[in-house]
Amino acid sequence: MNLSVQLGRLHLKNPILVASGTFGYAREMEGVVDFGTLGGIIPKTITRQPRQGNEPPRTVETASGMLNAIGLDNDGIDYFLANHLPYLKSLPTAIIANVAGKSEDEFLELAGIIGRHEGLAALELNLSCPNVSGGIDFATDPALTYRVVKKARDVCPLPIIAKLTPNVTDIVPIAQAAHDAGADAVSLVNTFIGMAIDWRRRRPVLGNVTGGLSGPAIKPLALRLVWQVARHVDIPVIGIGGIANIDDVMEFLLAGASAVQLGTVNFYDPTASVRISGELPEALDVLGATSVAEIIGSLEWRM
Amino acid sequence: MFIHSQFEIVENVLLARDTYRLRLHAPDVARSIRPGQFVMLRLPGTSDPLLGRPFALYDVAFDNRQQPAFLDIVYLVVGKLTGALAALRPGDSLIVWGPLGNGFPAIACPHLALVAGGIGQTPFLACIKAVLGKQSYGGLQSKQTVDKVTLCYGVRRAEFLAGVDDFRAAGAEVFVATDDGSAGFHGFVTDLVEQLPRPDRLIGCGPEPMMHRLALLAKEWAIPCHLSLESPMACGAGICFSCVTKVRTESGWDFRRVCVDGPVFDAAALVFED
Repeated sequence: MNLSVQLGRLHLKNPILVASGTFGYAREMEGVVDFGTLGGIIPKTITRQPRQGNEPPRTVETASGMLNAIGLDNDGIDYFLANHLPYLKSLPTAIIANVAGKSEDEFLELAGIIGRHEGLAALELNLSCPNVSGGIDFATDPALTYRVVKKARDVCPLPIIAKLTPNVTDIVPIAQAAHDAGADAVSLVNTFIGMAIDWRRRRPVLGNVTGGLSGPAIKPLALRLVWQVARHVDIPVIGIGGIANIDDVMEFLLAGASAVQLGTVNFYDPTASVRISGELPEALDVLGATSVAEIIGSLEWRM
Repeated sequence: MFIHSQFEIVENVLLARDTYRLRLHAPDVARSIRPGQFVMLRLPGTSDPLLGRPFALYDVAFDNRQQPAFLDIVYLVVGKLTGALAALRPGDSLIVWGPLGNGFPAIACPHLALVAGGIGQTPFLACIKAVLGKQSYGGLQSKQTVDKVTLCYGVRRAEFLAGVDDFRAAGAEVFVATDDGSAGFHGFVTDLVEQLPRPDRLIGCGPEPMMHRLALLAKEWAIPCHLSLESPMACGAGICFSCVTKVRTESGWDFRRVCVDGPVFDAAALVFED
């Protein structure tokens, strides 16, 4: 059974990744998750400067999902390189750094710094964090997406993944712009903006008022966006959105994803990633497949 | 490193109004958990509620071979998960992950005062037994490090008092406060603390105003004080960065995760909102 997948220049031993912001810096899961069973790990988003993040409450459970507004709480890239990267590089799986810049120049700077470090498998650009006030949501605009991806591509030799937001009218031209600028893959989708209200207190629940919706609630929405991009844009897609079991993984692969990221499930089912990657060969066998590659985008339909 | 597994319920008994003690047969967790640590609980086979909820260790119980085998959790029914917990029976199972969090620091002093508000008494039984050398936790040798433990425990009404006999049996002197005067001192538990002989150390667990008052009291008395914080959590394991609290740093303050950097913090390091 060949579980490996190729996304542009990025080779993964299997398609099961854990999503940025849902797996800390991996060290937290040492001894709990066998990292070697994963296709890759994407640590929490890194910014140029340390960020305190948003006021709590930062998350709230909603029907079959949760809203989060963490606000890119992190200690900045210098701290990441000194304190997290050496550990991450020692793990027996692909490490994909995820960065967010407040401006095109900051993305350029971050991509340049990441590109100078050995041992990383790829760079994912967080073009779409919905919870950062004052920042630009780059992935709502094809031209901005093109420019940021192009600049990152110019200064960083690693495979480039553009992580896109679903909070747009049409995601296809944005994925197309990422492709045109030389991205190796797009990951879709980041969270859907939502809100929760405590009516008795007349207050929003989240400290940031609005937050990003994730979890099983968004799976059908994400699946449709993956399917749509996969059929219209010639770029490998990494599917994200409420994936919680092997069935979800298979659905995303058939819809056209070349790999998937598990996110919210890591919070409520901390060993799900290991279990799901273990179940993949059997699920492929059900379709009579001997490789992941042969089922990607193999959905059959009439309309 | 923590265990993530499904464990069987062996007891789920009512202790006080809306308050239950759950006993899980969870030897892997029972062997390693220390006072002040917590576990996440989740119902198997449902995604409603979706996320786990954090619960303090109440105590570890032993099997008939004197091996740590059972995990005791005391909970107050307040929402969806705790409501469902109250309906569970011996033989039912729960998904558990833990031990989580830092636990209480090593405490050696003549007189330790524990201050609990609401359901904040739950972490203190194991603490009392540990510092009085009554029971070993996490495979450590048991050793008495405190001469005297006082527990000041405040609730809204007498009917919510849960576990007072356990605390007394463990060797603590227990003083009760109620909002309505239905038992013990009539008023805030922190006012009760002020009326009692001054301890050498404080540990608190309860609502934010109580914790803030306790931190100020410890400062005034110039004694060490640790606070065990309660916070909503999504993961309990440090990967989601939801459960943050403001902690003083060299350059001001920063958010720290209650689940991995706490839940027990030095009161002097915490930033309270006015």
